Amino acid sequence: MKTQLTLPQNNISKTLSFICIVMFTLLAFNTSYSQSNSVSSEEATTNERTIKGIVSTDDGPLEGVNVIQKGTRIGVVTNAKGEFTFPAKLKTGDVLVFSYLGFENQSVTIKDDTTFIKMVLTEDLVEMIGALDTAKPYKSKRKKN
Amino acid sequence: MKYIWFISLLSITSLSHAQISDFDEVDFRKADSTALANHGEDLTNLPELSYKLTSNLNTDVERFRSIYRWVCNNIANDYGLYLKNKHKRQRFINDSTRLNTWNNSFRKQLFKKLLKDKRTICTGYAYLVKKLAQFSNIECEIVQGYGRVSTTDIEKLDLPNHSWNAVKLNNKWYLCDPTWASGIPDPETNRFTFQYNDGFFLAEPELFAVNHFPVEDQWWLFDNDVPTFETFLSSPIIYGNAYKNLVLHIAPDRMHHKIKKNDSIIFNYKLKNDIEVNDVQLLIDSGFNTRKIKPISLNIENKFLTLKHLFKSTGFYDVHLYIEDDLISTYTIEVKR
Repeated sequence: MKTQLTLPQNNISKTLSFICIVMFTLLAFNTSYSQSNSVSSEEATTNERTIKGIVSTDDGPLEGVNVIQKGTRIGVVTNAKGEFTFPAKLKTGDVLVFSYLGFENQSVTIKDDTTFIKMVLTEDLVEMIGALDTAKPYKSKRKKN
Repeated sequence: MKYIWFISLLSITSLSHAQISDFDEVDFRKADSTALANHGEDLTNLPELSYKLTSNLNTDVERFRSIYRWVCNNIANDYGLYLKNKHKRQRFINDSTRLNTWNNSFRKQLFKKLLKDKRTICTGYAYLVKKLAQFSNIECEIVQGYGRVSTTDIEKLDLPNHSWNAVKLNNKWYLCDPTWASGIPDPETNRFTFQYNDGFFLAEPELFAVNHFPVEDQWWLFDNDVPTFETFLSSPIIYGNAYKNLVLHIAPDRMHHKIKKNDSIIFNYKLKNDIEVNDVQLLIDSGFNTRKIKPISLNIENKFLTLKHLFKSTGFYDVHLYIEDDLISTYTIEVKR
């Protein structure tokens, strides 16, 4: 009886140690993977390029749109014609985020052949309402005698 | 090996506990001073503003706090816009096409005004909080619904008139109302005055439900049944100061009461802070005069405040509860023979 009880426990610890080994192995693989990744990004520097574009809405070009590279603070604002030239060179896989108050945020992932982005922003269709709070005490309407 | 089991179990339990523990131990001073340090910034670069408001803070609740405080302290409520919108919405209430056209043009106008002058109405506040939170990867939603205050024609709330926020922190949803937290119109001039009320930040859903009715049921954040609109309309009036002083408004659960002479009414609340018996007063307006009275019994135990008042004379009374100088709530009591 006793041995029967201890056996599954041994099995569990065996399974766990196996999982641990697998996890460590995965971790180890991960490091080497990221290394090879950085090598390829160095190669990709030659592929870095200047991205230009134009942002508009249904009403025409939109000035003042924030265009930022996702995960960074690098960005630019569109001019009166809705045009922008991104200040940093970008590579394939980088993401640009377009935002403007009252419009939905849009993201664009830079592809191998991206050099010019045509972006149309859509409005955030939120219904505008508003009630104010007040500190005025409630007063019952009373019939005048 | 056994320890691994133990540790993984422990981390699972601590995860589920985080939903209950809430943020009593979090000190918001750093978040508040970050918001203050960015006072006066404009809205032309929202991603950058969001970054400035959050990058030096370590937890999502602090990051959200900084965003929320900044919006409350920098965006003014536009009373004129509010009136204009209210008027138009009322006018087009039975004409959905014109109501839609109005909503569309008003939205454009409102966003321009918000961007240029940092003035808006409720949805503008809720929108901005959501947008800034989004840039900091905090899940936040606009909640549309009905807000009920002492001056709204409370029996006749027909169109949604208020917006607030729900925010997901540590995997749990919370409520807050940046518009009402930002300030109130001066009772004399109706000019908006900044006056931050901390009570609306991650407010208790049950207290919130006394004067906030969401259009979508999920935003009550209740596990059980949600109130009907009729129940909501018959609730007592509570004021901004209720959020400063109360955790719960327990009784009476209605605004209007009809009682017989020499009947009594029991008032019951859960308090946020310890207060003295002498801090509590009822102010009774009979239509002819207004008196501050001490109720016949008043008891504070474990932060539960219970008071009882006997109505000896017939009449129609507006009864206001005060804690120190803070007006908390109002009820009407009709006393007949």
